Amino acid sequence: MAMSYIGSHILDRELKKGSAELLILSLVEDQPRHGYDIGNLIEQRSEGVLRFNVASLYPLLYRLEKRGWIQGRWVEKAGQRRRRYYRLTPEGKKVLAAQRNSWREFVEAVNRITGIEHA
Amino acid sequence: MPDWKEEIRRRLSGLRLSPTREAEIVEELAQHLDDRYEGLLLGGATKEEAYQVVLLELTEGDVLVQELRGVEISVRHESIVLGERRRMSMSEDFWQDLRYGLRMLVKNPGFTVVAVIALALGIGANSAIFSVVNTVLLRPLPYKDPDRLVMVWEDNTRSGFPRDTPAAANYVDWRDQNQVFEGMAAIADQSFNLTGIGEPERIEGKRVSANLFPLLGVEPQLGRAFLPEEDQPGGGRVVLLSHGLWQRRFGSDANITGKPLSLNGEIYTVVGVMSPDFQFPSREDELWVPIAFTSQEAASRGRHYLKVIARTKQGVTLQQAQAEMNTIAARLGQQYPDQNTDLGATVTSLHDHVVGDIKPALLILLGAVGLVLLIACANVANLLLARAAVRQKEIAVRIALGASRLRLIRQFLTESILLSVLGGVVGLLLSLWGVKLLKAFIPENISQVQSVTVDAKVLLFTLLVSLLTGLIFGLAPITQASNFNLNETLKEGGRDSATGSRGNRIRGLLVVTEVAISLILLIGAGLLINSFLRLRNVDTGFRADNLLTMRIVLPTLKYPDQTRRTAFYTELVSRIENLPGVQTAAVTNWIPLVQQGDSQGISIEGRPDPGPGKNPVVVTRVVSPDYFSTMGIQLLQGRQFGDQDRVDSPRVIVVSQEMARRYWQGEDPLGKRIKTGGANSPNPWMEIVGVTKDVRQVKLDADPKPQMYVPYTQPVFFQPSHLVVRTDVEPRSLAATVRKTVWEIDKDQPVSNISTMEDVLSESIARQRFSMLLLGIFAAVALVLAAVGIYGVMSYSITQRTHEIGIRMALGAQASDVLKLAIGGGLKLVFIGVAIGLALSFVLTRLMSSLLFGVTATDPLTFVAVSLSLIVVALAACFVPARRATKVDPLIALRYE
Repeated sequence: MAMSYIGSHILDRELKKGSAELLILSLVEDQPRHGYDIGNLIEQRSEGVLRFNVASLYPLLYRLEKRGWIQGRWVEKAGQRRRRYYRLTPEGKKVLAAQRNSWREFVEAVNRITGIEHA
Repeated sequence: MPDWKEEIRRRLSGLRLSPTREAEIVEELAQHLDDRYEGLLLGGATKEEAYQVVLLELTEGDVLVQELRGVEISVRHESIVLGERRRMSMSEDFWQDLRYGLRMLVKNPGFTVVAVIALALGIGANSAIFSVVNTVLLRPLPYKDPDRLVMVWEDNTRSGFPRDTPAAANYVDWRDQNQVFEGMAAIADQSFNLTGIGEPERIEGKRVSANLFPLLGVEPQLGRAFLPEEDQPGGGRVVLLSHGLWQRRFGSDANITGKPLSLNGEIYTVVGVMSPDFQFPSREDELWVPIAFTSQEAASRGRHYLKVIARTKQGVTLQQAQAEMNTIAARLGQQYPDQNTDLGATVTSLHDHVVGDIKPALLILLGAVGLVLLIACANVANLLLARAAVRQKEIAVRIALGASRLRLIRQFLTESILLSVLGGVVGLLLSLWGVKLLKAFIPENISQVQSVTVDAKVLLFTLLVSLLTGLIFGLAPITQASNFNLNETLKEGGRDSATGSRGNRIRGLLVVTEVAISLILLIGAGLLINSFLRLRNVDTGFRADNLLTMRIVLPTLKYPDQTRRTAFYTELVSRIENLPGVQTAAVTNWIPLVQQGDSQGISIEGRPDPGPGKNPVVVTRVVSPDYFSTMGIQLLQGRQFGDQDRVDSPRVIVVSQEMARRYWQGEDPLGKRIKTGGANSPNPWMEIVGVTKDVRQVKLDADPKPQMYVPYTQPVFFQPSHLVVRTDVEPRSLAATVRKTVWEIDKDQPVSNISTMEDVLSESIARQRFSMLLLGIFAAVALVLAAVGIYGVMSYSITQRTHEIGIRMALGAQASDVLKLAIGGGLKLVFIGVAIGLALSFVLTRLMSSLLFGVTATDPLTFVAVSLSLIVVALAACFVPARRATKVDPLIALRYE
C-alpha cells in the first residue's frame, strides 16, 4: 500500500507538471486572471482532482511569462488591492493551439491503448 | 490577518533576487496567501487551522524555492538599487558604486566637464607648486649627509652685514681652533680668461680648499680631486672642469686629464671633470682651482671675500657649533682689536643658504594654491548639491527599499572621489605643463630650479590631494542625504525637499566661503602687485634705457699695473665713443644691482677716530670720467671727473647724496677730505669735488648706502671690470660691434655678461616678479571660480523662486523690485564673505610681510580697492541671473504649480 501511495503521488506530480502549462494557458485565453483566480479555477473545474497551491503555481506562471507566452501586469481596480493579472500573448496563443492538439492526440492514444472508450 | 510577507521573504532570501523583483514576488504571493486564508476561514476553518494550512502550502517540500531558482536566477538583472537585504561584500559594493558613478558621469557630460575642469585647475596648480617646493625645499642636497653641512659667516652687523664673507686669516683661525667641525673649506670667487682654443672666453669659477670635495662627499666623474699639496702656494697649477664646460669646449674629450689649459695667461693642468649634477656653489661655476693661500693672504683680516663651508662632527648640533664659533670669534676680537672688534661668527645650514629667501614666497604660494583648490571644491560641492536635488527621488526609492544611510553616503563618496581623481589626473597633466611654465618664471639664481620635475612624491601628493578634495566636496550632498523627508519626496508632486532651507543654507555658506577665500588671495596678490609697482617706480638714481653693459676683466698677468689697465680702458672707451650709434661710454668696477661688494672703511678729516673697526664703511665705485653722464646719474653739486684728475694730481672723489647727508649734515661737503682706512693709515687724503644723486647699487628694495666714486686714473684699490655704453639705437644691436672693438685692442680679451641695463634691472627683481605673477594668476583663477560659483548659486535660487517671483509680479511688482529682490539675496552673502575675508586677510597677510616693499601688510588702500573690485565682480555674477528673473512671465510662472 505504501508503495502504491508513493507511486501515485509521483505520477500525480508528473502528470500535473506535463498538463499544467496547458491548463494555465487555457484559463487565461478568454480573459486576464490573477494567480489565486487561476489556482481556484483549476481546483473547481477539476472538481478537486487537480490542485496547485502557491508554491507550485507561481514558479509556473513566472516560467510561462519568461517564455513570453503570458504577460503579467499590475492592475488596480476600484475598491480592490492591486493584483497581478496574466493574459495570453499572441505567441502564447499559438503555443496553446499546438499543445491542445498534441494533448488531444496523446489522450486519444492512451485511451486506445488502455481500452477506455467513449461511451 | 497574518503577515505573510516576512515568511515569504525569509524563503526567498537564499535566491539573492534583485530587491525590486523580490518585492514584486513577495507582494503577489502574499496576496495569494491572504486570499487563500480568507477562503479557508469562509470554509469554516478556525484561524489557527487556516494559518497552519496556508503555511504548509507555502513551505510544501521546498518546492517554491526550487522552482523559482530554475526560473528566476537566469534572469537576474544587474541591480543599481542598493537594498540592505542584498548582502554584498565591501569590495563588491565598491565596484558597483564605481560603475554606477562612472555611468552617472557619462550621462551628465556638462556637469562632469565643468567639475573636472574646476578640480583640475585646483589640483594642477597644487601639484605644480608642490613639485617646486619638493625640489627646492624638500629634496636633500646632492651631497653626502647634507644635514651636517653648514656655512660659516662673519657676523659684521656693525657695518650692516650680518652675514659677511669671512677674511682669510679668520677662516684659518676658525679652521684650526674649532672642535665641532670634521672639516672646513674656503671658497673664493675667481673668473678666468680661457684662451688658446677658439674664441677667448670669460669663465666663472672658484678657488677652493683641496678638502672641499671630500668634505662634500663628491668625486670627479673623470680623473681626481685636488691633492693636499696642491693647496699650497706654488703647489702646481691644476684645474677641475665642470661637465658642461668639458662638453662645450673640449668635445667631451675622454683623455682630457693631464692636458694643459691657458687660464688668465697661465698654464694649468686638467686633473679631472666633475659630474653633470655638480653645480657648486652655483650653476655658473665651471672651473675649480686650489685656493692655495699665500702667507700674506692667509694673514689678512681686512679683505672679506671668502665663503666658508664646514661639516659638523657626528652628533654636533647647529647650536653647539654656533656656541663654539661665538667663543672663537670673541677670542679673535680680543686678539686682533683693530680688525675683529665686534666681529662675530654665524653658522647657518647649507640648505638654508642654498634655498635662500625664496622659501617664504614658495610657502605662501603653496598656501595660495591650497586656497584656490578650496574654492574649486566649493564650486563642485555646489554642482553636486544641485544634482542631489535632482536625485532626491532616486535616493528616496533607495531608502524605501532598505538602503541604509551609511550605504548611501558610501556611494556618494565613491562618486565624488571618482570625480576628484579624474580631476587629479587632468590636473597632473596640467601640472606637467605648469612646471615647464614655472621653470621659465622662477629666477634663475635659485639653485635646483632646472631639476624641478614631477616625481613619485609629487604623484603621491596629487593623489592625496585628490582624495582629500573628493572627501571635502563630497560631504555637501551627504549632509542632505542624511536629512530629508522620505514621505514628502516619494509623494507624487511633492516639492523637492532638498531645495528647502537647509539646502539654501549650505549653498549660501559655499558662496560666503568662496568670496572670503578669493578676497584673501586677491588682497595678497594686490599687495604684491602694489609692492612690485612701487619697486619698479623706485628712483634708481640712473637712467636704464639705451644702456649696454658688459663685463671685461683684464688678467693681472697681462696687465700687471694700473698704468697698463688704464691705458687699455682709455683706448677702449675712446674707440667705442667713436662708433656710430654710441653717445658716451665708461668703465666701472661694478654696475648697479649686480653685486653688493667693494666697500671700504674710511676716516674723515678733522673727526675723532671712532676706534678700531668702527670706521664708516662706504660703497666704492671706480669710474672713468664719462660714467655719470653715461649712466644718467645726476650731479647735484660740484663737478664730474675730468682730464685734470691724473695720477699725479691731488686725489679727488665724488660722493653720493646719502654720504653727504650722513657725514656732513648741514655742511657743504665740497672741499671736505677723507681717506680710506683708519685715522692713522698712510693713505692720502681725497677731496670731495662733487655730489651725485643716490644710486641703488645693491638692491632696488634696500635704501641706498653711502657711496663714493673714485677716478680710475688715480691710484685705486678696486679694478674696473664693467663697460657701460649709452646708445642712440637699440643697445643690443651694438653688442657685436663693441665686442669686436675689444678684440681689436686685445684679441685674447674675453667679454662676458653682455646685457642691457634694463635687463639687469628686470633681473634684479625677478624674484618679486615671480611671486607677484604667480599669486596674481592664482588670485585671478580664484576670482573666476568664485564668480562662476556665485553665478551658479544665484541662477539656481532664482529658478527655484520663479513661482514666487511670478506671484509678486502678478501682484504688481515692477522689474526693478524683482531685480532688487534677486540681487539683494546674493549681495548679502557677498558682503558676509567680504567681511570674513577682510578679517582673515588682516591676520594672514602679515605672513607675507617679508615679500612686500613700500606697502604694509594691511595697506588700507589695497584692502578697500580689492574688496570693491570683488564686490563689483560678484554683483555682475548676481546681475545676470537676476535680470532673467525680471523676464519671468507671471502666467507661465504660476502655471508651474
